[in-house]
Amino acid sequence: MEKRRIGVYVCHCGGNISDYVDVEKVRQSVENDDNIVLAKTTMFACSDMNQKEMVEDIKNHNLDGVIVASCSPKLHLVTFRNVTQRADLNKYTYVHSNIREQASWAHSDNKEGATEKAIHLVKSAIAKARHVEPLEPSKIKAEKSVAVIGAGIAGLKAALSLSEKDTHVFLIEKEATVGGWVAKWKDLFMTDETGDALIKRLYEEVKRKPNITIFTNSEVFANTGSIGNIMLKIKQKGELFDITVGSVLVATGFEPYKPKEDEFGFSTVPNVITLPEFKQLIDHEKDVLTYNGQKVKNVSFIYCVGSRQPEGENTYCSRYCCTATIHAANEARKKFKGIQNFHFTRGVRSYGKQELLYAESLQGGDIYFQSYEDDLPKVFVRNNKPVVRINDILTGGRELEVESDLVVLVTGMIPRSNNTISSLFKIPKGRDKFFSEIHMKLRPVETVIDGVTIAGACQGPKTIIESVNSALSAATKAYSNISKGVLETDPQIAKIEAKDCTGCEDCIPACPFDAISMKQIDDQSIAVINASLCKGCGMCTPVCPTDAIDLIAHSNVEIMGMIDALA
Amino acid sequence: MNQIRKNISYDALVIGAGIAGGEAALNLANTGYKVLLIEKDDSVGGKMILLSKVFPTLDCAACITTPKVSEIGRHPNITIFTGSTVSSIKKISDNEFTATVHKKPRYVHVADCTACQKCEEVCPVSVNDQYQYNLVGRKAAYIPFSICDPKAAVIDIENCTLCGACERVCPTNCIDFTMEDEEFDLHVKTVVLATGFNLFDPLKTPRYGFGEYKNVLTSMQMERQIAPTRPFHTILRPTDGKVPDRIAYVLCTGSRDVSVGNPICSQICCMYSIKQAQLLMGALPMADVTIYYLNIRSFGKGFEEFYEQAKGMGVNFIKGKIGKITEKENGNLLLRYEDINEGKLKVAEHDMVVLSVGALPNPEAKTLFADDLKLDSFNFVDQPDLMASPAKTSIDGVFVAGTASAPMDIPDAILSAGSASSEAISYLMKQ
Repeated sequence: MEKRRIGVYVCHCGGNISDYVDVEKVRQSVENDDNIVLAKTTMFACSDMNQKEMVEDIKNHNLDGVIVASCSPKLHLVTFRNVTQRADLNKYTYVHSNIREQASWAHSDNKEGATEKAIHLVKSAIAKARHVEPLEPSKIKAEKSVAVIGAGIAGLKAALSLSEKDTHVFLIEKEATVGGWVAKWKDLFMTDETGDALIKRLYEEVKRKPNITIFTNSEVFANTGSIGNIMLKIKQKGELFDITVGSVLVATGFEPYKPKEDEFGFSTVPNVITLPEFKQLIDHEKDVLTYNGQKVKNVSFIYCVGSRQPEGENTYCSRYCCTATIHAANEARKKFKGIQNFHFTRGVRSYGKQELLYAESLQGGDIYFQSYEDDLPKVFVRNNKPVVRINDILTGGRELEVESDLVVLVTGMIPRSNNTISSLFKIPKGRDKFFSEIHMKLRPVETVIDGVTIAGACQGPKTIIESVNSALSAATKAYSNISKGVLETDPQIAKIEAKDCTGCEDCIPACPFDAISMKQIDDQSIAVINASLCKGCGMCTPVCPTDAIDLIAHSNVEIMGMIDALA
Repeated sequence: MNQIRKNISYDALVIGAGIAGGEAALNLANTGYKVLLIEKDDSVGGKMILLSKVFPTLDCAACITTPKVSEIGRHPNITIFTGSTVSSIKKISDNEFTATVHKKPRYVHVADCTACQKCEEVCPVSVNDQYQYNLVGRKAAYIPFSICDPKAAVIDIENCTLCGACERVCPTNCIDFTMEDEEFDLHVKTVVLATGFNLFDPLKTPRYGFGEYKNVLTSMQMERQIAPTRPFHTILRPTDGKVPDRIAYVLCTGSRDVSVGNPICSQICCMYSIKQAQLLMGALPMADVTIYYLNIRSFGKGFEEFYEQAKGMGVNFIKGKIGKITEKENGNLLLRYEDINEGKLKVAEHDMVVLSVGALPNPEAKTLFADDLKLDSFNFVDQPDLMASPAKTSIDGVFVAGTASAPMDIPDAILSAGSASSEAISYLMKQ
């Protein structure tokens, strides 16, 4: 083989890297290394200007390997692979080096150390680049159908959107009816349409679509295959169905937080209920609001129950509850005579146009208090009634009490406790235990599992509008993945050298994707890889006693070279 | 004026090449549709490309926008017209819209320009740089900003003295004063409106002294001062070039304020102010940063944790409404405010004040149409089926993406663009 000709670009990332890493020093430390034909620094490697310059450099200097030392490959591996491809260089000869998340951001307190580490990381990328080989992506046929899991508002809208795009949809719902939480609600904020009417309208539309198959009372319990050809097993009341789809859209929603025993008097003080219970109550009561046979006059709402906790999983804000509460309180005041609402908030978050509901509430005579962050309101019984006591910021810290007929705990959204879907599809979760997208701005509805998108409140608290927007975004992404009928998949998978395989079968249990099976060849049983199932995770490589398994693009010689460079 | 009229046709017209318009155009193009993306500015990227870092991940805004911009620019299914406007959009029938596109002359042949900046050096004219929000000046022959796209010079003909210096110095002869207006008769099947938002003009709240006291800045001016493509190498206050060490933020400037005609919350100012405060603590470790707020609205994914992080870093949060700002002789500012926690009127001295200005509707959206495009009561584009189809407008086949319909942050704008492009694709496939 001719001597490799490698180009290196070290990115400032507009200060994200260069504020802590001396990028010029990194460049100088590699420019005279073996095989390095050019080494440059750049303000933004990903900018159009620099991409064009890279294409020119690759052509002018006849490069056969390119390295960009910049951010995480999650952000821009594909960007730079495409650059090399435009310069007629095989895109798999591109090697990415992450000196932002792994050096500058991780060691912002130690500039010299960060620079030193960045140099090692770039040198290890060079070591890898010396051995990379051109590869061709594998092409697989993609099924033009999508499984939508969860038929709440997000699932229904995603199903409709895909159906309109000439894609067959299997809409899978574990409850007996579609519509999720929205179907259980009457009045919604920002619209005159009720929740059940909204769902009814969408469900009628779904029923008219010949290319939507609805499975209610159903759960997915097995998943094999990969993007393009995902095989699911569905159980519907004991009956089993097998379907094959190109992509899976997960819209499994949220659960309302259930207060702990005695949390703000829940289940220990009489007449303490949750927001969903209150909404049910005002929907069903007529003319006079009563609870447990008693007429209700003073209603106290305690905000952020199960949200914005100082520690644990529920540190997040549940986003919808301030406005949902204000809206419910407004509705109650208008529907029933003589209601006085008291809001015990931690700062009202009626963002955007929802602000008008807050203004309406203030004009309607609702009274607002705000508690100190380290001194939340207390609920106790007096005269068989719940009393809320607060040290109120808005009145300069005065201690105030409201004797209430009803205390409503404003409970937020928490992730589903049922883990079936997340473990079946291996969807990663964030610190908040909601499903994680790849990148909030670049790839907001995709997960790290190819072909699995997420929509609605399974990703984090959302209003109906926000859920629908994310559902339609996920539908577009799922559609663009499979619409061409053919998919390119990464060729970076495991390969087995048949002559070195002893047939010990140690690799089979090591594979998390069931991609390895035994095959009889000339009276010898040897392991073979199913290319469409293998994800190139590398779990099989170390267990092989004879080193018969190598990972394409992460071969032993590449990895050993990288380790030597890091040492 | 001699005008050359040409007929052009595309599947989809996307108006506005900010983050929402760009995202919508990419979704449509990736599905195989031919897209015309119209941008009135001389660069694509909208407001986002000018930002520093974005909350709550602190990714630099350029890292997110520049590759997208590059992808849009290269996409075989996307045609971009910068420096162009669209008018008289009219629906002829289902899947048939006509419109007029007006492309103003750049006086520079983009393909030949190498952005060498020689024209900038020789141009004798100096005016305020709108991309640096008037913090510094620029020439009449200029590159809009360092990461603009297309990266090419433009001649600001309004301020140009026609001295010809730029033309003489240009090594590639790409400057051409004979370029003329172009007009196109456009036929498309669907329209995506991504006309974005306008920032509140703080001259409308004279009690804060913007325009009168030089050390009162807008949040967008501060954004420029901390961006990677910033005008100075550090943060400077305008009166004397001193590095500030007591910076105040005034939230809800022009939002939640009936007196300026904007009763709603702008949804982004709390978070961008918290973000700027964190960046300032990093850039100026000795500085005190105080945020005066009514309610902190950190409601999105990871936002509350971001707010807590700012408190942990030592950003000072004061629940209080600013009554009036006055200036001292040394350029410092006195803020009279009601400290709500303590129930007292107080005065605080700061050496720089940042007004966290709100997001207002862009009234241009309506004027693009010959037909009647309905606006809501705040003058945002109306969404008649808000719950079930937030991207639908009052005209069937016209969809709205991003902040043209309501204030929203970047993640929400991107999802809204996904929603609009999904509806547009369905609409195109219906025929």
